[in-house]
Amino acid sequence: MIPEIEYLRPGNLQEALQMLSEYGETARPIAGGTDILPGFHINSRRFRDIKTLVDISNLPEITAIREANGGVYIGGAVTFTDIVKHPLIREKYPMLADAAAQIGSVQIRNRATLAGNFVNNAPCADSVPPLLVYDARVTVRSLRGERHQPLGEFLLKPYRTQLQPDEMVTEVFLPPLPAGFRGEFYKLGRRRGVAISRITLAVLVKMDQRVIEDIRIASGAVTPIGARFPELEAQARGKTAEADFLKELAIQLGEQILQRTGLRWSSAYKLPVVQQVFYQLLRRICQ
Amino acid sequence: MKEISIHFTVNGKKVSLNVPSRKRLLDVLREDLGLTGTKEGCDVGECGACTVVMNGRAVHSCLVLAAQADGAEILTVEGLAQNGELYPLQKNFLEYGAVQCGFCIPGMLMSSYALIQENPHPGEEEIKEAIAGNLCRCTGYKQIIQAVEATVKR
Repeated sequence: MIPEIEYLRPGNLQEALQMLSEYGETARPIAGGTDILPGFHINSRRFRDIKTLVDISNLPEITAIREANGGVYIGGAVTFTDIVKHPLIREKYPMLADAAAQIGSVQIRNRATLAGNFVNNAPCADSVPPLLVYDARVTVRSLRGERHQPLGEFLLKPYRTQLQPDEMVTEVFLPPLPAGFRGEFYKLGRRRGVAISRITLAVLVKMDQRVIEDIRIASGAVTPIGARFPELEAQARGKTAEADFLKELAIQLGEQILQRTGLRWSSAYKLPVVQQVFYQLLRRICQ
Repeated sequence: MKEISIHFTVNGKKVSLNVPSRKRLLDVLREDLGLTGTKEGCDVGECGACTVVMNGRAVHSCLVLAAQADGAEILTVEGLAQNGELYPLQKNFLEYGAVQCGFCIPGMLMSSYALIQENPHPGEEEIKEAIAGNLCRCTGYKQIIQAVEATVKR
């Protein structure tokens, strides 16, 4: 059941920010609604205090994709369908397009938005690992002003970010990726369509002959929230991409995941899968 | 009760009504407009039974607030047939035995319709992707896919 709520439709971003500022914690922006409405339906504790929904789905300021500063700015309320279809994102940030194409179903992708996905910050949010390896930065606006922050800092813990009640994520910036990086996104769900991810990995590698010049690694669903692995990345830089070393790296990824999550009932299955998949991804990318 | 006034087009007809702001598009279609072809299934965006086409895109009407459909063009399964004649997709669903219990069919039709509008000649994989968000527990999908293929074959 959807509770008694007040629905507000601001005409522009400024009005939306005023509404959020006025209503505070009892208000929540709604765009695609693909997390909020099911949340209402199952009477999720996370959504029980909402009294007012501020519909931001059609605000022109946050529904565009534009090229600037060598990279791409994606509006917070851009849908996954728009991301999948966008030639520039497909060309320059293919892992994001790839992850977006595997989210939910056509119906979900037609409504669900990029900022909605990571502001909800479920452990399994599929857009997060690719955004993290692309060093995405978020723009957060409120009546108090504007701030910019790396996504990795913005995300705090499961279902928690640094977003304050009067704030909204207006844009995500994907900086230019230095030449030579190649990567892959991997998703494992119980089935292909409408699947909650069990494992996601995003890996970007820059090779210099046989040497790993630079590497970026992120996981989702197997870590409390989507996250990078800076120690592992530092350890791999400058090493030769031989099978033995890649295996060692995969083993360590599994160990670090275990450290972050603790032992789970599913660890006996997931850890060897993560390690094997990661090893195979590295083999393909480093070829 | 908090109400909101909405104006939108449903199956080519302009509709204006006042609805409680907590109502979903699905509720308004079924309860206020009597368009019960659109089915209520899981209510959480997993089964696809409530799929309608909104501004050319397939959406779950259970995950759209009616207020969010203000100004939109909505097509439901009732809007497919023209002048008493079934839409080719519907004819082929019958022809290929794609309908058993029938509960998923309006959603299947609307997902397939949205696909064909955007991509008039989809391949089998594209058809499967388009209906991946629609659950059918009777047919095993094969006849549904065949019916869509027959519709797009020239």
